[in-house]
Amino acid sequence: MSTMDTPVRGRDRAARIALYAVLVAGLLVVVGPFVWMLLSSVKPEAEIRQVPPTWLPETVTLEHYRELFSRLNFPRYFGNSLVVAVLTTAGNLVFCSALGYALAKLRFPGRRVLFAFVLGTLMVPGMVTFVPQFVLVSNMGLVNSYAGLVLPFLAGPFGVFLMRQYLLSIPDDIIEAARIDGAGEWRVFWSVVLPLCRPALATLGILTFLASWNNFLWPLVVATTEDRYTLPVALALYSVGQNRIDFGLMLAGAVVVVLPVVVVFLVLQRHFLRGIATTGLK
Amino acid sequence: MTAAPATTAPSRPAATDRPHRTDGVTGRRRRRALTGWLFAAPFTVLFAVFMAVPVVASLAMSFTDLRSTDLRNPWSVDVVGLDNYVRLFSDALFRRAAVNTLVFVVVGVPLTIVAGLAAATALNSALVRFRAAFRVGFYLPVVTSIVAIAVVWRFLLDPEAGLVNNLLRVVGIDGPNWLGDSSLALPSITVMAAWRNFGFLMVIFLAGLQAVPADLYEAARIDGAGRWAQFRHVTLPMLRPTLLFGAVVTGIGYLQLFEEPFVMTRGGPLSSTLSVSYHIYNQFGFGNYGYAAAASYVLFVGIVALSALQFRLLRSSE
Amino acid sequence: MRRQRRLWLAAAAAVLALAGCGRDAGGGQDGARSVGDGKATGEITVWAMGTEGEKLAEFAKAFTTENPDAKVTVTAVPWDAAHQKIASAIAGKQTPDISMIGTTWMGEFAKTGAFDPTPLNFVDKSAFFSGAWDTTVVDGTSYGVPWYVETRLIYYRKDLAQRAGITAAPQTWDELKTFAKALKEKAGAQSGLYLQPGGTGSWQSFLPFAWSNGAELTAGKDFSIDTPEMTEALTYYQSFFAENLSVKNDLGLQGALEQSFISGKVGAFVSGPWHVGLLTEQGGPGFADKFAVAPMPRKKTATSFIGGSDLAVFKDAKNRDAAWKFIAWLSKPEVQVKWYQAVKDLPAVQKGWDDSTLKDDPFLATFGLQLKDAKSPPPMATWEQVASVIDGQVERVAKAGENPATAVKTMQQQASSVGTGG
Repeated sequence: MSTMDTPVRGRDRAARIALYAVLVAGLLVVVGPFVWMLLSSVKPEAEIRQVPPTWLPETVTLEHYRELFSRLNFPRYFGNSLVVAVLTTAGNLVFCSALGYALAKLRFPGRRVLFAFVLGTLMVPGMVTFVPQFVLVSNMGLVNSYAGLVLPFLAGPFGVFLMRQYLLSIPDDIIEAARIDGAGEWRVFWSVVLPLCRPALATLGILTFLASWNNFLWPLVVATTEDRYTLPVALALYSVGQNRIDFGLMLAGAVVVVLPVVVVFLVLQRHFLRGIATTGLK
Repeated sequence: MTAAPATTAPSRPAATDRPHRTDGVTGRRRRRALTGWLFAAPFTVLFAVFMAVPVVASLAMSFTDLRSTDLRNPWSVDVVGLDNYVRLFSDALFRRAAVNTLVFVVVGVPLTIVAGLAAATALNSALVRFRAAFRVGFYLPVVTSIVAIAVVWRFLLDPEAGLVNNLLRVVGIDGPNWLGDSSLALPSITVMAAWRNFGFLMVIFLAGLQAVPADLYEAARIDGAGRWAQFRHVTLPMLRPTLLFGAVVTGIGYLQLFEEPFVMTRGGPLSSTLSVSYHIYNQFGFGNYGYAAAASYVLFVGIVALSALQFRLLRSSE
Repeated sequence: MRRQRRLWLAAAAAVLALAGCGRDAGGGQDGARSVGDGKATGEITVWAMGTEGEKLAEFAKAFTTENPDAKVTVTAVPWDAAHQKIASAIAGKQTPDISMIGTTWMGEFAKTGAFDPTPLNFVDKSAFFSGAWDTTVVDGTSYGVPWYVETRLIYYRKDLAQRAGITAAPQTWDELKTFAKALKEKAGAQSGLYLQPGGTGSWQSFLPFAWSNGAELTAGKDFSIDTPEMTEALTYYQSFFAENLSVKNDLGLQGALEQSFISGKVGAFVSGPWHVGLLTEQGGPGFADKFAVAPMPRKKTATSFIGGSDLAVFKDAKNRDAAWKFIAWLSKPEVQVKWYQAVKDLPAVQKGWDDSTLKDDPFLATFGLQLKDAKSPPPMATWEQVASVIDGQVERVAKAGENPATAVKTMQQQASSVGTGG
């Protein structure tokens, strides 16, 4: 099963209290800005800018949220972000785990070179490929399309790296057993190995979704008409001006942007609890 | 963990499998190679088109004097060879940025890993309930917009009204202007970055911890190992691939430090928080595309070097 | 034999292609094609940032009423990274017909050859403020027209000034210094006059003083930063920090400027028209009576900075004629006034200021006055980088007490190595 200890003994009590204390303190420090963000999104603009900042709102107002939803064509932008994030995440989960599996468990010529190359691109700073990528995408006629928004990110080197490392630790005997039973390689992969990778898949899913959801610069440049804008782009439209920043709108927007990620996290994080059923082998 | 798959198959595959081959092992190897490439294909194709081509293009760009004013006619630029790279090393701003970034990485990566591992281990322990709440909580800074984080941290570090200095005042210390002092700004940003990113590592380490079979802990306990010994001799070794992954990814991320100085200090005061990525961003903003590309590839070399070092130190047997 | 011919063909093709790809000679102002007569037709695509982007579509309906066969499609672009979006569009040849372009970006984008020269027989350049028109001129050719402008004035607390015994706004450099001292010593302000101590955009606070002292950034194609006038201006700027009349941390970066002014910690500061609205909003009821604006003080002249945005038509525009007609419509004085009423952008057209909406507002009248003597840096392709050189040295002078003469020399040297991109 997982690494849960069996009965809690007496001297574990002290350890437990200490642990809780540290965790709660850490939690307060960590969650602070998020709480401030949430609370401030219902304050009037002047109060948000007050120095020193207030915690609990002196006046509660929903004006920023109202403005957000009335000025923005919210369902459209939310929908665009969702489609792009889901497609990107699904694609990454399949393609990266397939390649990760091949790199970790299948011997094929050129695998070391391929891995080195993929890993290498992970190390290339993102900014530098931006303009060439855009020129490439425009020449392919993919500007202002979902394909243009999704395709460049479907093959993420990070996912390959994560899945490969995780798959390395899956015992070969399970795979061999499945092969002996006559399963084709794809079935071995899909029905036997992947279910064992839930924690890694959940992790990759969350991280990819997050990256795609928060992606700002690429959708801004690829979308030439507003109906293809994603949520972060639309939010930046109204909250950051040439000479002023509308903090209230920006905070309300930030809350709205964060919520789906938190939801995805809550849904997927159950899968962290599933351990590897290696005991079944014995 | 390293069984040798090739020898567990039955001795000689039936001749019916391969009418034209007498050597079954070669056939199997070939099939395996094909399967391997089939699995790799979708990713490799997408990757080659959307990643490899731009990377090569931008590498070529770094050997020219391409500026933003040449964008309509990118082929008419001059090839300047290694000129950009040489200029980088006589650029005082770049040198400063490089030093700042190195200091940040050397301090920040271990700090974040320790925090992430501690959180993951704590949350993995049976002693803790409300695990989900803690998990989500610790992960929140990773997903919270950097702008909200910046506002709160600027308040925390405000020399007069800020929480940090007020707490210090309680014990009689007169706290400095954390972000305004050119020798304290970088350490402040380092702590803030570790705080912001440890949740990311926590999530990854949690997945890794889940992969450690319970029987190994059982065996250790039977042998009389206490909790710390179990951690050292069971958890850490089993976690090696994941730790390596975490270290490499964090190192790569931190070498590209950008958001925190961009939002909190704009690289100041007096360039004390200017990072290499920020410098590159500025150069792209100025339109010096060739020069910025060269700086990016120098950064790339740095990233490769750091990752190679980490692989060497933390390599797991494959 | 055959292989040789193929090689020749390939070489010829390459030469032809490269010839086609050569840097655009431009053709200059005379190369500007004239615009056809009659009403505008077809779809006109426009990119605009921020509030302008939000409000333009609705506003343009009046144009469509006058030109029923035309349609104006506005795409709002966020300011954050608008520069990157325009640069990428130029690279990928995905430009719209018209885009709003910040005045300090004109030099760089015009140099790409992506803009259409302004047809001067169609657009009347004398209608605009000369400082504004100059922001559209790159290498002697004008691209596009100014759309709206902004300039910088001294904001100050009237009530604190009264408390300090001052009855009139400062008019010269010496009076400004006395003014700041009085606000600090007699009215309790922490910063008598807050000036930006370096950092992004501090050149907009510093250069007005330089220009007022007769200093210039360029002389012909070269930089002329290292002059006694520039050093004198920088010394004056530094004196506010040296004499503790301004704090040394960037209040704008901290987002604390408005609150500090409202609470009286800052007695005066330099900024543009947007602060009128910001301060009135955040200061609460009655605060609008507590502050006023004054023109930049005089040394040899009383020159301020002029900024704003221009409208440019792209060379690759699909509907060029209609685009210019739309721009001409936006430049009509009555349309400029209506635009001000919708969005609060100050008209770039001088006649627009004759309207009572602008003439009778006490704040705006001062801005209008200052616009007559306002300059901007000469449009150059490398401006962003040169600006950061200036900002860097201003920071050293303000925070680290660097010798102004040395700082000015460093500015000259670093700017020259960056070049004007010309």
